[in-house]
Amino acid sequence: MITYELMLLLRIMPKPEVKQVLQRTADQIFGKGGFIRKIENLGTRDMPYKTSSHGMVHKQASYFLYEFNVPPSSLADLLDEYARDVDVIRRRIYKKREPEPFECTLQEEILPPPYRKDVQDMIADAKKHDKPKFQSNTGLDYYPFQK
Amino acid sequence: MNFLTIRKLLPVFNNVIIRTSTISTTPGRLSKDQEDQPNFDMDNPFEKVQMKCILCKHNIQVDYKNVKLLSQFQSPYTGRIYGRHITGLCKTQQELVQSEITKAQSAGLMATYLKESCFLEDPQLFDTENPIRPHKY
Repeated sequence: MITYELMLLLRIMPKPEVKQVLQRTADQIFGKGGFIRKIENLGTRDMPYKTSSHGMVHKQASYFLYEFNVPPSSLADLLDEYARDVDVIRRRIYKKREPEPFECTLQEEILPPPYRKDVQDMIADAKKHDKPKFQSNTGLDYYPFQK
Repeated sequence: MNFLTIRKLLPVFNNVIIRTSTISTTPGRLSKDQEDQPNFDMDNPFEKVQMKCILCKHNIQVDYKNVKLLSQFQSPYTGRIYGRHITGLCKTQQELVQSEITKAQSAGLMATYLKESCFLEDPQLFDTENPIRPHKY
């Protein structure tokens, strides 16, 4: 089951209206057979860039984060419904990223180029395109005939 | 006794000094010698410490909602993401930072053409003037 995160930017409204919009957006998730894990209010602040939506230019927005589970096929419908909502300025759905353990490879990356694995692979790859050299198969390390 | 016989066999080289073993074979002294021997099985004390990038060293999880951290990898003049040759991050972390910045910008959390003025005073994680390796172009 994939947990999704919905970042919802609402226009500046009085509190009761914000409550209504949040209920509306949450009901749409429930309507798709999903459930909500968490709702976070990230506050009202100036947006980093102005956005025009539904014929209005917005410079401030209320940020809300939903953490929820829905069938993946209904994500497009959800986004479509939020796009038609007049009070929603911007909406993005991302998968919740599970941190995967990995090793820091900085030590190998700061080596001088000939010692780096990717450079060695690159040189080996370039050598494949070299013109084939004639092999005389004489067993000698010099050319026995007159040039 | 042994070297006397050799002397008899080689009378010509009378002035030759034949070296004999001076180490006594008492078991007590031998074990003491072994104690003084250096331990060659120890790890190399001169081995260099493995370098780690700043995010791996402090075990920081990069997230698109953490705009304050992400904006430190962004140019204040153009809003573009600094490359690996400037940030000094490992490949995996750099890719993560880049994808999370793109996500944050798309979600309306982070500026695209500049660094937000509230983050301009933040400490520098790296020296942008002196990249660790030259620019790839």
